[in-house]
Formats: sequence, C-alpha cells, structure tokens
Amino acid sequence: MAATALAKAPAMPVPSSETATGAVSVHGVDVVFGEGDQAVTALSNVSVTIPDGALVTMIGPSGCGKSTLLRAIADLVPATAGAITVLGRSPEAARRERNFSFVFQDATLLPWRSAIDNVRLPLEVGGGGTAPADPQALLELVGLRGREKALPAEMSGGMRQRVAIARALVTRPKILLMDEPFGALDEITRDKLNEELLRIWQETGTTIMFVTHSIPEAAFLGQHVLVLAAHPGRVKEFMRVDLPYPRRLAVRDTLEFVQITARLRQLLEEC
Amino acid sequence: MAEIADRAAGLAGPGLFRQFDRLGDKWPAFAAVIGIVAAWQFVVWAFAVPTYMAPGPVDVINAFRQESVTLWNNFWPTLFEALLGFVFGNLVAILLAVWFVHSTTAERAFYPIAVFINTIPIIAVAPILVLIFGNGLAPKIIIAALICFFPTLVNMVRGLKAVSPATLDLMRVLSATRSEIFWKVRIQSSLPFLFAALKIASTTCVIGAIVAEWIGSSFGLGALIIEATYNFRSPLLYATVFTAALLAVAMFSLVSFAETRLIRWKAADVH
Repeated sequence: MAATALAKAPAMPVPSSETATGAVSVHGVDVVFGEGDQAVTALSNVSVTIPDGALVTMIGPSGCGKSTLLRAIADLVPATAGAITVLGRSPEAARRERNFSFVFQDATLLPWRSAIDNVRLPLEVGGGGTAPADPQALLELVGLRGREKALPAEMSGGMRQRVAIARALVTRPKILLMDEPFGALDEITRDKLNEELLRIWQETGTTIMFVTHSIPEAAFLGQHVLVLAAHPGRVKEFMRVDLPYPRRLAVRDTLEFVQITARLRQLLEEC
Repeated sequence: MAEIADRAAGLAGPGLFRQFDRLGDKWPAFAAVIGIVAAWQFVVWAFAVPTYMAPGPVDVINAFRQESVTLWNNFWPTLFEALLGFVFGNLVAILLAVWFVHSTTAERAFYPIAVFINTIPIIAVAPILVLIFGNGLAPKIIIAALICFFPTLVNMVRGLKAVSPATLDLMRVLSATRSEIFWKVRIQSSLPFLFAALKIASTTCVIGAIVAEWIGSSFGLGALIIEATYNFRSPLLYATVFTAALLAVAMFSLVSFAETRLIRWKAADVH
C-alpha cells in the first residue's frame, strides 16, 4: 500500500473514495414541493454523511422531512438544490445498480404472491440483480422458515414486514433505507423485530438508515441518531449513541440508555 | 317423491356423510324451493286457474318432456350468441381499459362516449342493429356484447388503477419498467375487479341474446318466448323461461369456478 505516500500528503480527506464520502453523503440539500405561493419547503440545507456500514436512525417531529430525506436518497423525490451521493454515485445511478433497498411502513407485499415469491420479486424486474441472495435462506434469516408458501393475507403484520425485509435483502444491497418499517406494529412485535434487525445488520454489514418516530427505538437501534427539526426540515444534531453491540432489549433499563433518551427528548423539545 | 328420494340416495353414494354435511348447509334453500313449487301448484289447483293464464308446475314439467326437441333446438343459437357476445364484449372492454390506463387522452376522449352508449336502452338499440345487420346471428351477438361491455370497462379501469402509491414506489426503487409494472402488478390486481364484472356479464349476455331474438327472429329462446306467448302455449313459455334461466346460471357458475381457480388471494376493496 501507498501508506507512506498518504502519510506525507497534507491532512486532507480524499473525497473520491467511497469510505471518505461515506455510504451516503448529503450536501446542502433542499427539497421544495410545489411552486410559487403553494411551495412547501420540506428540507432546507441538509448536510449529513452516513459512514459506511453504520446504522443511523432518523427522528424528528412530524413535518421535519425525515421521510422526505430518505426518499430523496432513494431517488423517489428529486432534490431541489444541493447534492446527494450514494456510494459516490447519483441516487438514480445507485438505484439502477441496486445499491440500496427500501423498506416501507406498509409491507407492500403483492397479495397474490406467496412469501417466497414476494422475496423473489426484485430479481424478476428492473433487470434483476447481480449475485442475488438465496430467497429461502433469507426467509430463514428473518425467522419465517416453513412459511414460504403463505400468502400475505394469511400472515400477521409482523410476518409481512419480515417478508418485506427479506425482499429488501435479496439483491444484497449495500444500503438499507427503512421508512418507519415497524411503525404500524404492536410494541411486543416491534421489540422483537428491533432485536432481529440488529442481528441482521451485524450479520450482513449493510449500512442502514432507519426513520422512526419512537425515541426508544431510535436510541436502541442507532449507532448514530440524526435529529431533524421541522418547518423547514433541517439537521438539529447528529448524535452518537455510545452503547456497545450486540444490544439486548434489557439495555433500555440501564441508566446510560435513559440518559440518551432524555437527551433526545430534550433535543426534540427544542425543535 | 319416490323419484327424488332415489336420486338423493344415488347422490350420496360412498361420500355419504360429506354429502349429508353439504345438504345440511343447503336444506333451507331446498325446502324453500319445494315449498314455493308446492304452493304454486296448490294455488293453480285451488282457484282453477286456466292453463293459458298460469300453468302449474306439473304442466311445465310436461312441456319440458313434450317440447324437449324444440327447446333443445332453440337453446343452441341462444347459447352461441350469448357466449360469443360475452367473449367479444368483454374482450373489447378489457383492451379499451388497458388503453385508457396507458393514455389519459384516450380515456378523456372515449370514456364519455362509452357512458353515452351505456345510457341507450338495449331494447332500443336492437331494432337498429337488426336493420343494419339483418336477421342472422350478428345483431344478437352484438347486443349480447354491448350489454357486457360497460360494467367490464368500468371495473377493469378501476382494477388496473387499484395499485397503491406505495407499491408503485416499490416498483420504482426496483427500477421496474412500465411493462413490468403492467404485467406483474396491474393485471394481477385488476383480476378481482374483472371477475366481479364478468359475473354480471355472464347473466346479462343471456338477457342481451334473448332481447335481440325478440326482434323478428325465427330461432332462439327469445323467439320461442314470443311464439309461445302469442299462441297461448303458456307451459312452453314457462319451460323456455326456465331454460334461459338455467343457461344464465350455468354461465355464472362457470365464471365463478374460473374465479376460484385463478384468484386464490382476497382483494381488500372489491365490489
């Protein structure tokens, strides 16, 4: 390696490599919906860098644009100003190369397809994917062994969301974008899926951006918590959560955890 | 009565208990039918109603026996017209719906015309078509098709559009093409809507064929209805009406059977 050459160089980050810009880099991004008098500024001058392999949770009051930020990264809404790069590419190029997957609040399974056929969907459209994961193994990873043939109508909300996660992982994405994926689930199911998501994150090494409106969920999952303020949506703080992994649910009863959630609550009140 | 008992015993056969279970569900319907037929026969007998005015069930059964050749010969043209009308009317409706979903201009241009055509009473269209196409099968098939057309068009357009925005977001993240979205999502999600319309069409196409045969036709169940009425052959009239009803029920059952084979999932909001 050219370690000596690097050491001699001035202490400036090299922006061209993936690790230097992070998995996702958002720089001075505005998102404005509508035009003229009707224009609504969803995001204003948002800049954040998501490190490669990180698990970043995003939280903020409603109207802070946390979902909009995620959707802008996923090329679902265009940025009005500023620049977004995903693994050094534009969001559109990253989407076409299947660099990221998206998990919605609603599982959005196709109701006529069995669990395993829903997991296979990404391989059948948009040119498929290179080196896909084994759908069967993924269903086992999310704890749905033996339910491959079940139709969405025969599954609980938690099971449907597990299938959606398996579907998101089938293209082996480098980045997983999750928009309140457990928001519609009951607390017990949500706790369980939180623990399992951490396990999947550690097993796959995927970078995860996770939008939530639950303070405990944001603190429990996140290596970092991105706190957004509303009207217009802007970055309030990018906070590191100093709790070791693997985290178990019991960590939420510790003093450290309570201090972190108290700090988050305080930040959100200032928004 | 002995005949009915014999047939019931024959039906039971090896699966005796299962047959009993099924009969257990349906006995109120059977009892009601038997009750109504008995009451009908009683009223005709008790008030000495003349046969030409209202024949009793026994007269109608006799008509079925004596006129079986006439009924059979007139059954086939009506079946043929109804079936072809069903196929063409629904096919045109489905293709038009596909076009409407892909082109807003086409929908804006032709939807009002489709609504207008639907508002013309079918019985008023029949003479016009007979004048244009003569006395053959063509006008009957066209009328049967016309009567099927509109409900299928409306339902199919609705079904093709009944894809949630979240599902479309998912397909966009997967970089699916328009044709992939059409074949993998829209067609599938339209099927329950389509079958709701096809069930309506399966009975109305028989009505269309019969109404068309009323206008100066020399064959078909519709012509037989007119002939029997004018000649006061009321038992034959009733037998013809029952034959037409049986045809409609058979068509409906066929479509229902196809539906259960093709759609194993339940749509949320079809009606």
